[in-house]
Amino acid sequence: MKRTNLGEFEELLLMIVLILQEEAYILRIKEETFNQIGRKMSMGALHTTLSRLEKKEFLSSEMMGATKERGGRRKRVYELTAAGKAALIEAKELRSNLWKQIPDVALRFSLI
Amino acid sequence: MEGQEKYFQNHWSLRLIRWLCKPELLEEIEGNLIEYQEILLAEKNSFIRLRYWHQVLCYLRPSTLKSITHSKYNTMFYFNPLITFRNLYRHRASSLLNIVCFTLGLTSVLFLYFYIQAELNHDAIPADSERMYRVLRKSISMDEQYEIGVSSSRYAELLKIDHPEDIESTSRIYYDNALVSHQAIRYQENRVIFADPNFFEFFNFPLTEGNSATALQDKNQVVITDKMAQKYFGDKNPIGKVLKLDNEFSFVVSGIAQAIPGKSHIQYDIVLPLSHMQRYAWYGSLTNNICITYLKLSTANNAAGVRAQIPSFMKKHFGEDYAQTGRWIDFDIEPFNDVYFNNKTRYDPVNHGDLSAVRLLIIVAISILFIACFNYVNLSISHSFIRAKEIGIRKVLGVEKGRLVFQFLGESLMILLMAILISVFLCIALRPTLNAYFDLEVMYNWTDFNVLGFFGLLIFIILLTSGLYPALMMSSFEPLKVLKGNRNFFSNKPVLRKGLVITQFVISSFMIIATLLIGIQTHFVNNKELGFNKESVVIVKLNNQQIADKADMFKKQLLEESAIQYASTLSGEPGGFHDGAMLEISGLSESVIVRTLFSDEDYLNVLDVQMSAGAPFRKVADGNPQRFLLLNEKALKETGLKAEELIGRTASLPGWGIDEPFKITGIVKDFHFSSLHDQIEPMAIMSGGWHRKMAIKINANDLRNTLSTIEGLYAGLAPDFPIQYSFLDDGLAKLYENEQKQTRIFSIFSMVSILLACLGIFGLAAYSSQRRQKELSIRKILGASSAQIIGLISKEFLLSVVVAVVIAVPGVWYFMEQWLEGFAYRIQLPDNWYIFVLGGAATLCISLITVIIKTYGVAIADPSETIRNE
Repeated sequence: MKRTNLGEFEELLLMIVLILQEEAYILRIKEETFNQIGRKMSMGALHTTLSRLEKKEFLSSEMMGATKERGGRRKRVYELTAAGKAALIEAKELRSNLWKQIPDVALRFSLI
Repeated sequence: MEGQEKYFQNHWSLRLIRWLCKPELLEEIEGNLIEYQEILLAEKNSFIRLRYWHQVLCYLRPSTLKSITHSKYNTMFYFNPLITFRNLYRHRASSLLNIVCFTLGLTSVLFLYFYIQAELNHDAIPADSERMYRVLRKSISMDEQYEIGVSSSRYAELLKIDHPEDIESTSRIYYDNALVSHQAIRYQENRVIFADPNFFEFFNFPLTEGNSATALQDKNQVVITDKMAQKYFGDKNPIGKVLKLDNEFSFVVSGIAQAIPGKSHIQYDIVLPLSHMQRYAWYGSLTNNICITYLKLSTANNAAGVRAQIPSFMKKHFGEDYAQTGRWIDFDIEPFNDVYFNNKTRYDPVNHGDLSAVRLLIIVAISILFIACFNYVNLSISHSFIRAKEIGIRKVLGVEKGRLVFQFLGESLMILLMAILISVFLCIALRPTLNAYFDLEVMYNWTDFNVLGFFGLLIFIILLTSGLYPALMMSSFEPLKVLKGNRNFFSNKPVLRKGLVITQFVISSFMIIATLLIGIQTHFVNNKELGFNKESVVIVKLNNQQIADKADMFKKQLLEESAIQYASTLSGEPGGFHDGAMLEISGLSESVIVRTLFSDEDYLNVLDVQMSAGAPFRKVADGNPQRFLLLNEKALKETGLKAEELIGRTASLPGWGIDEPFKITGIVKDFHFSSLHDQIEPMAIMSGGWHRKMAIKINANDLRNTLSTIEGLYAGLAPDFPIQYSFLDDGLAKLYENEQKQTRIFSIFSMVSILLACLGIFGLAAYSSQRRQKELSIRKILGASSAQIIGLISKEFLLSVVVAVVIAVPGVWYFMEQWLEGFAYRIQLPDNWYIFVLGGAATLCISLITVIIKTYGVAIADPSETIRNE
């Protein structure tokens, strides 16, 4: 099996970036991680993870969209690369494959 | 909105980010932070500032920070230390020399610092020490006024009654020693004190157990230190247990005291209530000086008021006494903090420090530090010519002068830090050895704020004095001259270097000569004809009732032993206690002030004291009240009579309670019955009286058996008390302990200083010969001998050393004259002129040998080898 080296949080981040589309810059990502998965992350911490994903070439980024609220500074908007999308799909398939193999009884709560 | 934008742009959190983070990330991070703050403001969140800063600080992480190797500070943090290390390694011989010099110097200074600091911080525990005073009795003998540390037990109460506003409280301490026992555990304790109930509160001495207010309230209570608790009770809880004193009195342990940290003039192991002393008749007497009296004034300013009223106080309480004895009595109050260093007071049982030794050591420490610093300056300056090319090229490549200064200072700092590390290690490792050798109790306290401050200051001063000048000098080389190979770019005026070498050797030769003179004085004192024979005399203390009652029996039994020649009971051995008294001699209108000694007919035999006229007194039959008296020559001179006129007269001691007059039977030759610090005083040797000790003259052949015989006899007579004895010569040697100590300290540190100074010229000679190698080789080719070449190099150093010795001599003369004034019997400096020559010659020889060792190699080198290499 090919290793994709995708951590659980990294996987979630990739999905959030996909969900946010053009809005995928650090403040929105921070907001979404809190809203969707209830994790409170500092921008610094997010930055580290996002740069790691960039280094793994799952993400690419571009500076764009200067606004007044940002003091005229552009923001870094992230976007999934083909490799990122492939890795995400692979992870999803791996999981659903595994899910399928779990017998129904196994998930039932035992009364013992 | 505009204003807010500006605020964001310039907020210093952003500047921090700009300073620390990678430039390519700045736009994004700043934008995010600004927008985040906007959101926070819009949400009207609480703790806006805190949340904002949390985000700012969270941005500072490895993924965002600038890499140190790519920042402009890289040179500072990486290359500069690297270059420093390379330089130190390349010139490792000189680096090592520098480190050794600093290490030697710093180790000495650190050790001395801790000693001096502890001495100067004496008596740190009492809280109100600035308004505490001690009562000093003043007295006069032989026209010399002196002070007595102990005073009557009644001063405290009388002063308190007479000056209720000025004096807040008083406290008294009676120093004693006693046989202390708990069941079968018995020890003779020398630090037993009897104190007022307010002792612990008055002095603020802490108790680990028990109540400091009530621990000495009752007559039968005792407080012991934790050390004593361990000694007598082991791990058991001592509170409520019973300690016996002299097998007679029982005391219940009511508290445990902590050992007093640091130096203190009050020392104790066992504290008993002073009220116990009331059982003795002499306790309440106004003329009997027995205890140390402390006063705590309401404010420190009241001291003058109390002093002003002393005359009226003395008249009120001592008027009658004065009329009767005619002996002048007065008292003074001494600030509590002065007690520790006041060595002059007589009959002072407290623990004293030695201020002159402390002063001496401060001078020694500073001198050694100076020598070490001067070495560094000299070596760096001489060394700089070797590095001139490096400096020239750096300058050509555009290094600013400031940078160069910084680099050289960095090198100095590196050497200094290494030396400090090694010194600290050496100090810790050598502490037990040094303490034992110098007989000191130096403790280290590295974490004390003052100590760290001192270190910081030390580094700063050394860096400033020894690093800055060479750094400035080297950085100001003109590159053109240097690179052209012009060797005259410096050292045209080696005034500074010569000056420093001279100063170093002034200090060294000063210390060498002083050490020799102190040694000679000590030798003189130890070997001075004392007028009696101190060898093979054992002094046994008769310090308990059992043996004191049977003193005569003890003597009789001793004399039956063949190994014992003579034995004599006496009130004080030479070097020990000789009370002062007024002696009234029949037919003389004025009485003579004498030192008293009560003994028996064997005293002169035991000590081998010679008669000058008349006869020694004879043994009288038991029950015969006849008393005899011998005077020394000094007392004879005092009376103004001839020996024949004096012998046969009677004399009496008014106020001593001895009814029977003494018959003067003879005159003894003067002998030194007290320390050689004092002149011989008039003395009266009297029969009968108070016998505190037994002096025994033994055959030295079989010391061990004789001593065990004495022990056996003693044990037979006083089975409940352990024997305490000492040798007379040991006791006398103790009188000069301080001088012995100073001799040791001075000799060791003068060795350190001369070693340092020699290391310095060793280095200088090395550079000098290295620099002049070519010149010397050519001289050799032209016919100069090796000796001539050595002479050539040695000349420049020897001249400095000679000048130094010449400068040092008057200084050391003056200093030693001051020091010798403390001795009544001393060497005369003009008689010992050769010591100055010897000391100077020694300094010269040591430095000459050092230079020769270094230059010998150059002198015998094959000139073709050195000239070939261009």
